[in-house]
Amino acid sequence: MGFGVSGSTAVVFLGVLIASGTLYTAAAGSAERVSEAHDAESEELLDRRNTVIEAAEVVYDNSSGTLNVTVTNNGTTTLSVEDTSLLVDNEYVLPNGTTVDGDTATDVWAPDQRLVFTVDTGTKPDRVKVVAGNGVAASNTTVAEVN
Amino acid sequence: MADVSVPSLILFIASIVIAAGVAGVLIDTVTGISGALDDRGADVAENIRTDIEVISDSESSVYDAGSDTLTLYVKNTGRRTIPAVNESFDVIVDAQYRTNVSVTIVDGSAEWTPHGVVEVRVGGLNLGAGDHRVRLAVSGDEETFRFTTEQ
Repeated sequence: MGFGVSGSTAVVFLGVLIASGTLYTAAAGSAERVSEAHDAESEELLDRRNTVIEAAEVVYDNSSGTLNVTVTNNGTTTLSVEDTSLLVDNEYVLPNGTTVDGDTATDVWAPDQRLVFTVDTGTKPDRVKVVAGNGVAASNTTVAEVN
Repeated sequence: MADVSVPSLILFIASIVIAAGVAGVLIDTVTGISGALDDRGADVAENIRTDIEVISDSESSVYDAGSDTLTLYVKNTGRRTIPAVNESFDVIVDAQYRTNVSVTIVDGSAEWTPHGVVEVRVGGLNLGAGDHRVRLAVSGDEETFRFTTEQ
């Protein structure tokens, strides 16, 4: 009887040990994943709070049908040119070209730099909206005309 | 002596078998719970990493009364690629669930990657003049967009 009790106790104990090991691994992995996602979200939120953009100047060239949208990065977050979206008259457009302080190839749009979008629209639009990669937006309804 | 050891042996084997059964059921149950916990953790992490933003202006031009279609541009402001199919979107316009939804990627990419933009078209609407409300739900992230239609 004595062997039976100690033997079965050992088997049950082994079972509890294996089960708690499995449960701990799953719980720790899960908690880590959620915590990492929360951390990344907090980082993103901080970036978003540090982002301010302004659609400073919108100029439509009557002779060439080209629209130039100048957006300034007034925040402290470095943004991506590629990730920035442009809406002209509430229509998503892919710009013909982008320039950051004279550089046409860069993707880095640093604080205090001016990003210029060039788009062939054909007609003078009424409103322009620029959305940074993290969702911060700026719009402008004052479209200047040049000949 | 044999009279004592045989029942003892039977009791010993029986207790070991019962203990093994109990341990087996315990391990099986806990493995199931662990699997569910793991899946739940992955789901929650995915939901946290999902974020969308409606970037259309709340003007009347989002709704085309001629074709009864609402067109919205939605930007992926999260950190994961979302399948750009209408099954990913739950669209509720003025408290009514809509199934006539089509999703197109407009930024030139093959997938709706982070910072990408898709066009969501909701057809078969019959909206009158006034204020309206669209609710988009993607992987647990909800976005409400309000707009006005003019006569």
